[in-house]
This record gives sequence, structure tokens and C-alpha cells, in this order.
Amino acid sequence: MNTAINISSGPHVRDRWTTPYIMGIVFMSLMPATIVGVVVHGLHAFLIIVASIVAAVGTEFLFDTLCHKGKSYKDGSAAVTGLLLALSLSPDTPLYGPIIGSVFAILVVKCCFGGLGKNFLNPALAGRCFLLISFSNSMTVFKVDMVSSPTPMAELLAGRAVNVTSMFLGTSNAVIGSSIAALLLGGLILWAFDIIHGEICFSVLGGFTLFIALFGGQGFDPVFLAANICGGGVVMGAFFMATDYVTSPVSKLGQLIYGLIIGVLGGLFRVFGSSADSFSYSILMGNLFTPLIDMYILPKPFAYRKKAIAIQRGETARKPLSQRIPKSIIVIALITLLAGFALGGVYKMTEDTIKEQKERAAWQSYQAVVPTAESFRAVQAPDIYGQIYGSGFGRVMINEAVIGMDANGKTVGYAISATSSEGYDGNITVSVGISTDGSVNRISFTELHETPGKGMLAADASFVDQFSNRSVKSFKLLTGSAQETANGIECISGATVTSKAIVNAVNAALDFFQNAKGVQ
Amino acid sequence: METTFRGGVHPKGHKELSRQVPLQRYDARGEIVLPLGQGIGKPAKPTVKKDDEVLVGQIIAEADGFISSNVASSCSGKVKAIEKRRTISGASLDCIVIENDGLYTKVEGIGVREDVNLLSNDQIIARVKNAGIIGLGGAGFPTHVKLAPKDPSSIRYIIANGAECEPYITCNDQLMRTEAEGILEGLEIILKLFPNAQGVVAIENNKPEAIAAMKEAAEKRHVANRIIILPLKTKYPQGGERSLIQVVAGVDFPVSKLPADVGCIVDNVGTIYAVGRAVVYNEPLYTHVLTITGDAVERPSNFIVRNGTMVSELVEACGGIKDGVTLKKVLAGGPMMGFAMSSLSVPVVKTTNAVTLLTQDEVEASEAQMTNCLHCGRCTTVCPQGLLPQLMADAVHVGDLERYENKLYGLECISCGSCTYVCPAKRPLTQIFKHTKAEIMALKRAKAGGNK
Repeated sequence: MNTAINISSGPHVRDRWTTPYIMGIVFMSLMPATIVGVVVHGLHAFLIIVASIVAAVGTEFLFDTLCHKGKSYKDGSAAVTGLLLALSLSPDTPLYGPIIGSVFAILVVKCCFGGLGKNFLNPALAGRCFLLISFSNSMTVFKVDMVSSPTPMAELLAGRAVNVTSMFLGTSNAVIGSSIAALLLGGLILWAFDIIHGEICFSVLGGFTLFIALFGGQGFDPVFLAANICGGGVVMGAFFMATDYVTSPVSKLGQLIYGLIIGVLGGLFRVFGSSADSFSYSILMGNLFTPLIDMYILPKPFAYRKKAIAIQRGETARKPLSQRIPKSIIVIALITLLAGFALGGVYKMTEDTIKEQKERAAWQSYQAVVPTAESFRAVQAPDIYGQIYGSGFGRVMINEAVIGMDANGKTVGYAISATSSEGYDGNITVSVGISTDGSVNRISFTELHETPGKGMLAADASFVDQFSNRSVKSFKLLTGSAQETANGIECISGATVTSKAIVNAVNAALDFFQNAKGVQ
Repeated sequence: METTFRGGVHPKGHKELSRQVPLQRYDARGEIVLPLGQGIGKPAKPTVKKDDEVLVGQIIAEADGFISSNVASSCSGKVKAIEKRRTISGASLDCIVIENDGLYTKVEGIGVREDVNLLSNDQIIARVKNAGIIGLGGAGFPTHVKLAPKDPSSIRYIIANGAECEPYITCNDQLMRTEAEGILEGLEIILKLFPNAQGVVAIENNKPEAIAAMKEAAEKRHVANRIIILPLKTKYPQGGERSLIQVVAGVDFPVSKLPADVGCIVDNVGTIYAVGRAVVYNEPLYTHVLTITGDAVERPSNFIVRNGTMVSELVEACGGIKDGVTLKKVLAGGPMMGFAMSSLSVPVVKTTNAVTLLTQDEVEASEAQMTNCLHCGRCTTVCPQGLLPQLMADAVHVGDLERYENKLYGLECISCGSCTYVCPAKRPLTQIFKHTKAEIMALKRAKAGGNK
């Protein structure tokens, strides 16, 4: 009788949680951010999301089919990856962006490392960073009313005030899934369904906030801290990216350390770096620490913990506080704090030297552009220095203006230092020498890190000399087939962005000179 | 809020199937098959031979060695054979087969109440040993060995385990309701052996009737100062020895130590009841309680059953398999710690506390849902031992037994099955660990043997 009954090893029951169930909840928890993103940014954002998900699931389906790897595309993890990637892209990304990103995320980062659970980087984030690096122009386009404009994060990095409320609600000019309110709601859903437990989220946010407060330069200013937390994908990172099961450590202590690493790195990149997308990189670096943490940070079984051993021996007296808090936590906290302070301290210590160096370089360049001067006198205009200058020059700041004098104290020329932060690869600082009659003597760079062979050609005489000894109200960049004009500057071939930034900086300096004659 | 241990899971209880069905005595109609080895340790040595006449309660096999226990006949009749028979675990073991005459004539003197105050501690333990009592919770460790630790004065708690955390099983619930005084009598006898010990009856709070019955009995017997009735949160594996000690004594201890090393002795309420019967009534262990349950059974029931009764006979006594359903799986015990049976034509042994007959096989269904490990950490949260099952499985996967044993303390696994139960990727974790523990122990034995 009963020849058909099954034999198996116990336990013989399973609870209802399955992999698709978990993925379903994660997908659901991203819905608030998705809906807000589509409502705010419109149809194109919706298309990006659809393209990304379809590409992700399709890639996994093809991989499974071609490599005979079962039916893992059905478990929902590819759809979550696609959605996460789409939400971390600009709503103005061309549609090939999410498709290439999803294919890279699924094929290279996930499938090639063994599929679900085997990847060592978060696939969505890796896909995003792949896009940022490979297509940096089209990926970082953010438009408002069809005009390119900076994101709140770029504004924040440039030192300007941002609208925290619009960042919180998600109506600012940022990625599709940038509504902090919706992301927090999603995080709450994950927590309510027991998918995430807080160790990672709060250590990421805690480490980041602490670092920004200590070294951000504005102390515990709540608006500044809120702006930093609300921007640059910190919340999405803390709740949806860093908490990815596969690429985060197992133990609670390991998770705290991992979260602190991400938070502190994120703060470090935010304060001392220039990229608005630095938080993605800090999470990926945290991912890389995970195997190391899982190798060494192993909590002991209950029976081997210090307290249990003491009780086994019959000791019940409470121990002093220092012995009750696990030593490792104190050590880790101290290391984190020391590392943070050391970095901040080194920056503070070298700040003066760096400033001195910069000043010396500036004076040398003033000398170069006003060669007849023996000494220089600074022009006082504190309201203007260090601020975005005028309009029509892009993001250009006037750093300083000086008057060059000969041995007798007679004015022989002027030098103005201007910085454009719209170079292809960061800031371009140029010193513009102007003779007493208002014509440009010549220009000289004090800061230029453009692409070798392209933007770096700006330093060549063929480009620089175009500015020399010309008397114009402003210069005009000649692009494409534009005709040579009296104030024309020929563009460096293949480096329009660099050329434009330089011309803008020089024009701002000229404008400043022409308008500021009175304050001399 | 009731106290509880760390970790644990909440599998569906299914106790409503049988929890209100009163215990009924079932006397086997057919032959009685008594395996010589019923619990842990060496099988007993038969003291009867083929064609001998035996009576109920007669010792027919004697303990052979320190960890071994007597076997008593549960019926009267003639020894038909001593031969290998298939047993409940699936293995063929030496069994004494008795032709049941259906009269159940007892050995003289069994079941007559005696005054236990005159018995010395050694006499009490001798009676327990003679009765062949082993742990009825499932492990089957000889009780007379457990009750004789090196230093009886160091024992602080005698824990009567009435938690019954395993899904489906309800026989101990019913035993506590109907034989509350008998259990307390057994516990009082054990407490006599341990001057410094406190008695604790631990019951999960999903058994309010049993808790009330035990409390009432404790009042009636005026033992409230020596014995406390402790309700516990309903959570698996609350009835695990280590979980109970964690709750009652607040001690976690490694598997290399015994409960007695931390001042505790844990016995199932059924075992304690058997101790009472053995000492007060001089009655060997030949009956015990058992639940026949599951969604495939017509009338799930709780029985007082004779050792050696055929499972198939008990299932018939429950009205058999429901019409129109297919039996997919049969478990000796509950679904968490129990093991799958291949046939119903096997005898129950002392440690069989339930037979669960199911129409669905969740293991089979889960195999289709298996994915790679997500590293979600649910297994880590539920492990009552505080282990890291996912990293242990990774270590086994790459063959790093050194890391498994020394860095991850993989030998501390008690095979409770909680990790496998919660795993969303449906990985067979418990099975991996059972196998790996056996492998490591075998390697150690081989190494020790090689050094001789």
C-alpha cells in the first residue's frame, strides 16, 4: 500500500516567502517613487522605465535560453534591477541609455558572475555608473523647459542654495526617482514587510550626515544637511541600493561597518570631490568590501558570546560599561572617527599651503599676462569674488582682479582671474591680462585638466594667441561653418565644451573690467 | 508577555485538527513488534526466546551497556520470532515479535500503588532503569542516565517539557489536561533526587487548558513552592532543550556540554509521567501517548498506545485515509523535526509521539521554487543557536570544512530546521548541515583511529 508516498529529509514544511515574493515587495516599494517620477517628468520618463525593465528581463531571458540556465528571469530580480536603474537616470536620457545600462547590468554584472545571488556589485548601480562613464554627455543632461540646466546637486556643489522642499517632494530637476518623500514611503514598506532591518540604512545615513556636518564647512546647519541628504541619490542608495541582500554583509555588525564605509565615503566624495554622482561610487566601493567583511566579521553563536560564557561559569555580576559594549564596536567606531578626522585634519593643515601655492601660481600668471608690471595691487570687490558672475557666461566666477604697476607705481595694466566650472573635466581657471587701453594683452591658464589631445590643446599657442593683443568688447566662439568675425575665436577641434568655457571665462573677465572701472 | 528565546519561527500549527480530541486507550489487535533498540545507544539483549510465553510489563530485553535501556512487553502472548523487521525509521532492525493473545494479562504487582517515601534515591533510579524509560520527546536518551549526573546538588532546574512546539502534535496537551497530577507526581519524585532544584513545567501559551489543569493540580498537591507552571510564547523550537534552558535558566551553552553541566535537566512531560508510573506503580514503560493527525486522516486522534502497535492499525482506528484524497507524505513526528516514513506497516516505538499523514508534499513543491541563495539573512535571524546558516552553506559549497567548524561553529547546529523553513530561495540548509556534521564527525573518528 501507499507506494507513492514521498521520502525526504526534514523539515517538511516551508513558509510562504519565495524569491519572487521578495522581489515583488521590492518592486511594489519602488512604485511610489516611480509614480511621482512619471507624473513630474512625463511620458519620456515612463518610456525610460519601460525600456529599462524590458531590456533587463529580456536580457536575462535570452541568457537563460541560450545558455540553458533554467528560468531565472521569472524570479523578478531582473525587473527590480531594470526599475532601479531607470529611477536613477535623468528623465531626459535618450532611450538607448536605459537599454544599454540594463543589458550591461544583467549580462555582465549579474549573469556572467553566476546569476542571482552571485554578483559582487549591485547590478543597477553598476549599470548606472557604466552609463555615466561611457556616455557622460548624454547621461547628465537635465532640461527645464527644453533648456539645459544644472541639477540641485550640481548647484549644491557649486556652493549655491537649493530648494530642499522641491527635492523632498521630487519636483526638482533631478533623476526620475528623486522624490525623497516617495522613497521614504518605499523604505517604510520594505521595513514593514521585514525586507530591510535598518542597520544598513541608518549607518549609511548616519555616517554620511556626520561626515558632512563635521567637514562640509557649514557645521550642523539643518538646511545644508537636509539638502545634502535629499540630493545625489543618498536616500535611494541608503534604502534600495546599499541594502541589496546579495552585495551587503550577513552579520549585523558587518552591516553597520559596511553602512559606515558607504556613508563616510559618500561624505568624503561629496565634500572633497566634484562629481554629483559620487554616492553611486561609494556604494559600489562598499559592495567591494562585503566579501572581506563576511570573511572576518563573524558573530559567535549565542553559547560562545562573552556574557553566555560568564553565565555558564556562574558569574552574574554586571560588568562595567566598557566591557559590556563589544570591543570591536568601539574599535570600529574609533577607526571610522579617526579616519574621518585625519582626512579633515590633513585638509585643514594643507589648506593654507594649498592657498599659498594657488596664490603664487596666480601671481606668476598675472606676471605672465602683464609682463611690464613690477608689482600688483589687489582690487577689493568682495561682493563679486567667488560668486557666479553676471549672466550669459554660464557658471563663471571672478576670483580676483589686480592692478599691475611699474617701479614708479604707475598703472601699466590689469589682470583678472576667472574660473569656469563648465570645462569638460572640471574647472578651468584663466588669468586675463588687460592693458591700460582696454585691449587684451594675453591670457594664461592656472587650472586646466581637459582631455589630452583635445581640450588640452587649449594650452597651445595656436589657441591662446588668438586672444593676444585684441581690442574687443567680447569674444565670440566660432563653431561649425561660422564666418570669421572681428571678435571671433576659432574653436579647438573636438573640444567645443572646453573652448566655450574658456571664451566665457575671458568674456566675464572683460565684462568685469569694463563695468568695474569705477572701483579701481 | 511570555518569555521566550532568541530566533525561532512560526510555522502553521494545525493543532486544531486534534487538540480537543481526548486521549483514548488503544489496544492492538494484531501482533506486537518490539525493536530491541528504541532510542539512542546500544540495542537491548533479548531475555526471551521463540515460543516463550510473555505477560504485559514483563522485561523481554535487557539494557546492554551504559547507554541502553530495557524493553518491556506491551501485550500477553507467545514470542513468535526474534528477527529483522522494518522499523519506523525505515531500517531493518532486530525485533521481538509477539503473537498477541488479546487478553493483556499483566505481570503480578504492576499497577499497585506503593508508598514512595520509603524508597532511596538509588532505588528510584533503579526502578526508572528497570522500566526502560527513555526520553519520549524524540531523542530517546535513557532517563536513568540523565537522572544520575555527577553532582546532583549542582542541579538547579528540573524542566518538564510540555511546550510541544512541533506543529500538528497534541498528545502531550491532552496528557497534561487529563494526567496533570500524574505528571506532577513524577516531577516530585525526580525533585527528591535533586535537593537544590526547582521544578518548572514549561507550556506554550497555545495550550490554555493544559496550563490551567497543571496550575490546578499544583495547587491541589500543595507543591506551588517547589514547582512553577511557566507559560511560554508559542514559537518553534520553543520545546528544544536548549531553548527551554535559555528561557528558564538564562544560559546558552555549547553542544559539547550537557544540560546537567549548566544545572538543568529537561524531560518531556510524557517521560516524567512514565517515571511516576514506574516508581509509584512499578509499571514499566509499555504505553505512551501519540497523535495520529494530518489532513489525510478521517478523524485525527490522540491515543494512549501500546509500544509495538502497527501504525497501519492506528490509522484504521482513526477512520483510515479520507475518501478521495491521495496520501503524499507520512511523517513520524511533526513536520519540523520528524522524518518521512516509507510505509505504514511498521510498529510504533517509545519515541514515536505522532504520525502525520499529509496530502501535500511541501518539500516537493519547494524544489521547483529553488533559486540561488539571495543572502537575505532570514536564516541568520531565526537560528536559535545564533549561527550564520548562509555562510555555513557557502563554506560547505566550497568544501571549506575548517571554516565551517572553527570559524562558523557549524557543529553547534541542532538541526531544528528553522533556517530551511524560512529560506525564500528554498535551499535545503538543514539537510546540508546534517550531512556536513556527520562528515566532520566521521573524519574526526577516522583521525582518532589512525593515531592509535
